[in-house]
Amino acid sequence: METIDRRRRRIMQSLGIAGAATATGTWPMMGRAQNPSHGGLLRVALPLADNLEPVTMSGGGTIAIVQQVAEYLVWAEDDLSLRPVLATEWSSEQGARVWNFTLRQGVRFHDGREMTSADVVASFQRMVQPDSGSAGAAQLDFLQPQNVTADGPYGVRFELDRPVGAFPYYTHIYNAVILPADYAGDFANNPVGTGPFKLDEFRPQEGARLSRNNDYWNDPLPYLDALELDFYDGSQPQVIAMQGGEADAMLSAGYIDIRPLFEQDNVRMVNQPTSTHAQVTMRTDQPPFNDVRVRQAVALAVDRVNAMDTLLGGNATIGNDHPIAPIYPVDVSLTQREQDLEQARGLLAEAGYDDGFPIDLHVGRLAELPQYAEMLQQMLSQIGIRVSLKVEPLNVYYGHWTDVKFGVTDWASRATPGQFLNAAFRGGVDWNAPKWTNDRFDQLLDAFESEADLAERKRLAEALAAILQDEVPAVIGYFKDAFRPVNTRVRDLPGNMSNFLDLTRTWVT
Amino acid sequence: MLRYTLRRLGMLGVTLLVASVLIFLITAVLPGDIGRIILGPFAEESAVRALNESLGLNDPLVWRYFDWIAGVLQGDWGQSMSLNTPVLPLALERFSRSLALAALAVAMLLPLAIGAGVAAGRRPGGPLDRVLSVVGLGLGAMPEFVTGVLLIVVLGLGLDWFPVQATTPADGSVWAVIHGLMLPALCLVLLLFAYLFRMTRSGMLSALEADYTRTARLKGLPERLVLRRHVLRNALLPTVTVMGAQLGWLVGGLVVVESLFRYPGIGSLLHNAATNKDIPLLAGCTLLVTAVFSLANLAADLVYALLNPRVRDALAD
Repeated sequence: METIDRRRRRIMQSLGIAGAATATGTWPMMGRAQNPSHGGLLRVALPLADNLEPVTMSGGGTIAIVQQVAEYLVWAEDDLSLRPVLATEWSSEQGARVWNFTLRQGVRFHDGREMTSADVVASFQRMVQPDSGSAGAAQLDFLQPQNVTADGPYGVRFELDRPVGAFPYYTHIYNAVILPADYAGDFANNPVGTGPFKLDEFRPQEGARLSRNNDYWNDPLPYLDALELDFYDGSQPQVIAMQGGEADAMLSAGYIDIRPLFEQDNVRMVNQPTSTHAQVTMRTDQPPFNDVRVRQAVALAVDRVNAMDTLLGGNATIGNDHPIAPIYPVDVSLTQREQDLEQARGLLAEAGYDDGFPIDLHVGRLAELPQYAEMLQQMLSQIGIRVSLKVEPLNVYYGHWTDVKFGVTDWASRATPGQFLNAAFRGGVDWNAPKWTNDRFDQLLDAFESEADLAERKRLAEALAAILQDEVPAVIGYFKDAFRPVNTRVRDLPGNMSNFLDLTRTWVT
Repeated sequence: MLRYTLRRLGMLGVTLLVASVLIFLITAVLPGDIGRIILGPFAEESAVRALNESLGLNDPLVWRYFDWIAGVLQGDWGQSMSLNTPVLPLALERFSRSLALAALAVAMLLPLAIGAGVAAGRRPGGPLDRVLSVVGLGLGAMPEFVTGVLLIVVLGLGLDWFPVQATTPADGSVWAVIHGLMLPALCLVLLLFAYLFRMTRSGMLSALEADYTRTARLKGLPERLVLRRHVLRNALLPTVTVMGAQLGWLVGGLVVVESLFRYPGIGSLLHNAATNKDIPLLAGCTLLVTAVFSLANLAADLVYALLNPRVRDALAD
């Protein structure tokens, strides 16, 4: 059943219609194609977020607001193809160590000035400079500020510390929006970008009002006249607002929270496979998890299918203890690890834990993770591991998530598997919560990152995944689908695996 | 009376000062790191440290406190750390909305609860008394997120009488504002009704049985006059005190109701400031709410004095 589902998705992706058809809702009504009409207001419910600064923002709510005002060089579509936005072309030299981007000409910022290479250079430098506070700086750790340079008014050159074959995808991380070169902070009062909408008003913890940018470079887009992007504290008020017709769409939603909307006639569910997953990390430098057999035993005790059904209504893809999700073109096919309590008990006994052991499992209060941790507690008790749960507020959990012995951490979807592999499993990096090091893995990862040929990338990905599956620094049980509930009067509002919001082509009836 | 009021206002100043010290002390032990909260879990540790430094969080707590209190006394309430915006205008705006909601709730609650309490107290054990007691207790026992959802489902989604979100259009008329606030206000009324109703009812019962009531009746006063002059005046005293204590909560404590109805009042602002360890915002909001709490209690005491000559005389000197 699972394999059929996976195959179906993969076929659809290769046809390039998964994102387009299921996401836009044009699929069920292909017979009565309608032309988009201009005008109208769209109200989107966003999760509460505070920091609106593009360089340092990290909450889905503020990211969605900024993405209407400012744009990226490229946009990674749901089939992982790249759509040119502010860049029209890109190419690499020196085996993907140097990348050249050609900028779109005639693009104007909201204040009327033309966007040129100086703005792009300044935007990237602002993000990757030390102490920028940007998550982008951590993700682009191979890019030094001085190595972003202008090549004429419409060319930008990135010289990376090491070859990165998927670099164009890194220009689409959420902090990498292009702002004017002289941007000096305080986005709420200086919201100048090139995007399809202009920010008219931002009210902290309430939301934003935006209006159509009449000078948008991609004329005649956008279709909508105005946007209301409103913050909601929690998902229940969002569901109520969808039911009452006071919101037209939700940015993102967890399956458990939005179940009432599945029966709602005027709500369509935009469902998107992603690489979002939870890593059950185990400190490999401390007992009991310094013994690989113990980690394997934990992985063998997890009933993944049961967890997916219970927590997500089956709206997920099974995981195999590595982050290379089936959505990626390099999809690997290792033998699926399944629950095997007998083998797990045997491994524990070999490692000298005949009677199991007690352990604290830390988890932040986020989406289905606390319930997942409860299921893990119950599953692990079957092999004698006595888990006491430490369910913590998110800011507490993220205060020590890389230190805890045993933790459940949410990893939001990324456009390339390399972003996970580098950030979570390369030896010695900040977010390597299991403190796991494997030299062969690091070498293979270097090769994978710089490789451009798909067949070779596939081979390397399989080798990387096999090491992770065998060594189990983290249990990865499933990749969950993203949901975006949308009112049926809204058309062409795509889903997004990173919960990004693109309303350029959206229209309302 | 005037001197009493002035003295109480002086005490209010002391209360606010103590409250502000407490807030600073409590936030010092709250979990979490504000730089980390602002930048998110995936920012680099060095950047978090740099931000904490620039926010002055590495200075000693005492130093930060005096810095802040000096600002407040000069009318500068500081900058919210997590929202990057001045505290005072934001807190005042949210505060005024909370006041509007509380005012509407109280305007509906007082006549309802007192009227019901008086009616029930006059005929204890009667059908009206029984029905009101059971219904009131049942509603009061339900947490606000249950009554709130019920109201939303029935009056908002089902009958479509009121908007499910408590919106207050800036250019709307008074009626539009009341219409928009009706559901959360009703939710608060249902929540507090039982409490006030029972207070009034028991006050009525003891006042009706009191000697002075019997005397008033015996000297031939008409029943209406007995009720107004002798019974109600005494029966309402505990109700007034209770109401004073509830007002502070109505203005500052409505985290659940505000988030359920997406009403941006000061309760949710306070709640978020606390989870974000945003000390200037937290302290500013708390000062406002403490002030309301104290003023409401003062007002309750003054009303109490008006109703009760014994207290009034005691305060006269």
